[in-house]
Amino acid sequence: MPQVVAPRPGALRIYLCSVAGYAWRMEALDDASAAETPEARAARRIAAAPPGQASEAEAELYRLLAPRVRRYGLRHLRDGHAAADLMQQVMLHTLSKLRAGELREPERVLSFVLGTCRLTVMDQRRGERRRAELLERFADDLPVAEVAHVAPRLDEARVADCLERLPERERAVLVMTFYDERPSEAVGSELGLSAGNVRVIRHRGIDKLRRCVDAGRRLAA
Amino acid sequence: MSAAAGHLSLDALLAWWLHDEASAATADAVDEHLMQCDACGRALDELVALGDGVRAAFRAGALASVTTAAFVQRLAGQGVRMREYRVPAGGSVECSVAPDDDLLVSRLEAPLGGVRRLDAVVASSLDPGVEHRLEDVPFDPRTGEVIWLPKVAAVKLEPANTLRVTLLSIEDGGAREVGRYAFHHRPWPG
Repeated sequence: MPQVVAPRPGALRIYLCSVAGYAWRMEALDDASAAETPEARAARRIAAAPPGQASEAEAELYRLLAPRVRRYGLRHLRDGHAAADLMQQVMLHTLSKLRAGELREPERVLSFVLGTCRLTVMDQRRGERRRAELLERFADDLPVAEVAHVAPRLDEARVADCLERLPERERAVLVMTFYDERPSEAVGSELGLSAGNVRVIRHRGIDKLRRCVDAGRRLAA
Repeated sequence: MSAAAGHLSLDALLAWWLHDEASAATADAVDEHLMQCDACGRALDELVALGDGVRAAFRAGALASVTTAAFVQRLAGQGVRMREYRVPAGGSVECSVAPDDDLLVSRLEAPLGGVRRLDAVVASSLDPGVEHRLEDVPFDPRTGEVIWLPKVAAVKLEPANTLRVTLLSIEDGGAREVGRYAFHHRPWPG
C-alpha cells in the first residue's frame, strides 16, 4: 500500500473561511512550523505592503508555489493547458487576497493555496467559467516569473533503448501503465495478474529504466 | 527550497499520479505533502518525464511489446492507425506496413490453456543463424492468442524478409512448442 514515508507531525486542522461567497474547507498544513518558511515570509511581506508594492515578494511566492499548483493540476485535471490555467488562476487569487489583506493569517498561505486548488478543480469539473473571466480581468497583474517546465523531456531514443533491455513482462507493464496512465488494478485485470503483482513488476521495471536513462544522461554529459 | 520533514517514496508518488492509492485520504496526504516539498515535486516530475518518454517511444514505433487485446482496442479507439495480421498456429502470412501506419499488430493464435510461462523465439532471415529469445511474455490464456507489436518504425525500413516466431510453453520437464508462425514481409510498394 502506498504510504507517506515520514508523515508530518501534527494532525490536520480544519477551519472555515469565506471567500467569494463560498464556504471553504481548508486544511492547515503543519502551521506550527509554517511561520518561518520562505512562502510564509513572502506572504507576510505582500500582506504588509501597500497593494501591489511588494513585487519582489510576489515574484518569489509565485516562483515557489506556481510549480506545485501546476503539478496538482496535472494530476487532478490530466491536461497541461488546464493545469497551466489552474496555476494562473490560483496564484492570481492568492496574490489578490494577500494584497487586499484578506488572508487573516498570511503564514498559512500553503493551506490557502491547497484549499483554493481543491475548490477550483471542483469548480472546473462543474464547468464554471469563472477562471476565464478572472484571467481576462487580471492576467496582466500576474508577476513575471519563470516557472520551470514540470516534466523535462527525456531523450526518446534513449528511453526506447532502455525499455528494450527490460524483460518482456516489465516492458509490457510499463507501456500499459504509462501509455494511458492506468492504475495497477486495470493493468492487472488485462494481463491476468493481481494489482499487487503489477505494482511489484512496475516498481522493478521503473527502477531499471531510471538507472539506465540516468546512466545514459551521465555518459552524454 | 522549502522542504517538508520527510519524503515520499517513488511508489507513493507513482500511485498518487496514477490514482492508484489505497484511499482518498492517502491521496489528500500526498496533495498536502507536495504542496510544501519541492524535493518530492522534482522526484515526481522525473517520474512523469519517464512516463512521457515511454509514451513517446511507443508512439514513435520505436518499441516492440507484447500486449493485450484490450490495450489494442483502446489504441484503435484513440484513432491509432493499425494494420493487423492474425496467424494460426503453424500458419504463415504475407505482410507489409504502410508509411502512415502507426502500429503493426500480430495476433498469434495458440492453445494456451494450462500454460504457465510462455517464451517466444524470434529469428529473421536478415540475420541467418541468430535467434532472439523473449522470456516470460505476458498473455491471457482465456483469449487463445498472443499479441505482439513489433517495432513498426524499424519494420518500415526493412527489405523483404521472413520472420519466424516460435511460442514455447515452459514446463517442469522443459519447453513444449505451442505454435510456430512465419511472417513474409515485403516493403510497401512505391
